[in-house]
Amino acid sequence: MSDWTRDRRRDASTEREYRTSGHARWSHCRKRGIDGSLRANRETDGETEKRGHTDRSHPDNRQDSFTTPESAGPMSRCGRQADWGSQVEDDEMRRDVHRDMQRYRRRILGAEVTQRERKTSSGSSGSCDSKEGENIETDETVLLRRQKQINYGKNTLAYDRYIKEVPKHMRQPGIHPKTPNKFRKYSRRSWDQQIKLWKVKLHAWDPPAEEGPDKVLDNIDELDLDDVMDIELDFPTLSESQNAPASLSTHSLSLEAEDCSGTPVKVQKTETTTEPDMA
Amino acid sequence: VFRLLPPRMDNSAEDYRIQSFDLDTQVLLKTALKDPSSVNLEKVSNIIMDQSLKDQVFSKEAGRICYTIVQAEAKQSNGNVFRRNLLNRLQQEFKDREETRSRSLQEWVCYVTFICNIFDYLKVNNMPMVALVHPVFDCLMRLAQPDALMNEEEVDCLVLQLHRIGEQLEKVNSQRMDELFFLLRDGFLLQEGLTSMARLLLLEILEFRAGGWLLSSTAHKYYYSEISD
Repeated sequence: MSDWTRDRRRDASTEREYRTSGHARWSHCRKRGIDGSLRANRETDGETEKRGHTDRSHPDNRQDSFTTPESAGPMSRCGRQADWGSQVEDDEMRRDVHRDMQRYRRRILGAEVTQRERKTSSGSSGSCDSKEGENIETDETVLLRRQKQINYGKNTLAYDRYIKEVPKHMRQPGIHPKTPNKFRKYSRRSWDQQIKLWKVKLHAWDPPAEEGPDKVLDNIDELDLDDVMDIELDFPTLSESQNAPASLSTHSLSLEAEDCSGTPVKVQKTETTTEPDMA
Repeated sequence: VFRLLPPRMDNSAEDYRIQSFDLDTQVLLKTALKDPSSVNLEKVSNIIMDQSLKDQVFSKEAGRICYTIVQAEAKQSNGNVFRRNLLNRLQQEFKDREETRSRSLQEWVCYVTFICNIFDYLKVNNMPMVALVHPVFDCLMRLAQPDALMNEEEVDCLVLQLHRIGEQLEKVNSQRMDELFFLLRDGFLLQEGLTSMARLLLLEILEFRAGGWLLSSTAHKYYYSEISD
């Protein structure tokens, strides 16, 4: 099975866990309905089914909103999509990823040059040579998979509301969710965790969340995940990346060690505890 | 003597050639251009597709209105409902093309004109849509078959598409273009029963490609001007 279908399976089982009788838990937060068109209001699933799609019946009783936002319906299990719509979208994503990579490389090279200049002028001999440039994730399969995961997170009403409410320059590390950097080398597990935690943080902006960001963060504090949240999501920006990469890698290594037993359970706890708030 | 009209580049509503639609549909289309998320884009794409199969004038330039709607939707809501639906309709019709051809030459020719126009206008990051390359070639190869060359409207359609997108197609797949032109040479030389118009069209396209998708001025004079005796 390709990585991509494995991901979808995982998303699928996560969705099933949170579904109450016949109503997908966060369907009202989805920006798009099953047919890909925007959902303008917070209508119930019943209404949505009346509009638009009527003929499509899922063989296994899934809710319409179960389907991932971008697709128009259940996707075939085979790796390469046969329909032209999907082919063109995949093609477009591939090109976007490559273009992003070129831009990222340019940014890194620019930052590296600046750092070198600083070092020589200040006379310091930093132990950390910023090897960002050599440490970029370039595997296309990985990048595309990561981009898809990021797209799922960005294709939500929560994300829309978040970026409108908090412009980039006002974002505080640790408090405001930050999109994981797909070009950094991370283990598969580490990356998937980052995505999960990022999405959890984004849920604070779910409509019609009256409580806002604070309530959710309090819950997370109770679960003692402070360290995890700070380290996992607090990527230094490129301009401050002198020492951070070294410390970042050791922290994530120690987390990796704990991973095998602890983290999945912790993450599950996070999501179930925040559930009532989402009602 | 025939003339090929160059495409117009201004943006007036007439250029979308939507005058052939009834007034309500015209309003719908104009709204789709300005405010795509307020209309049912799946319905709009079906309307455009259906009309393209019937109206040859429309199918020649329908790509432009499609392009504008795609751009508008992407800009307004980052969606591509319209494009996705359009492409999947195109794919459906492509699957049934042989049946369409035997049922109605006119519809078949309209389809080819439309899909080539879409190929021309709907680019992804300024590159042609890879998914359409082979289907387009398949259609053109079909038009170059002996039975198709016997029909002037099919030959006419074939050379029109090659004039418009031949160069682009060759860039993305020169091997298939070579194959196509083997067929065209054979057709021109060996096909019995071709009308003189069909032979003229074929000769012109052979010269056109040989000249790097350009016709020399003398050749242009030969094909496009009245030559006084």
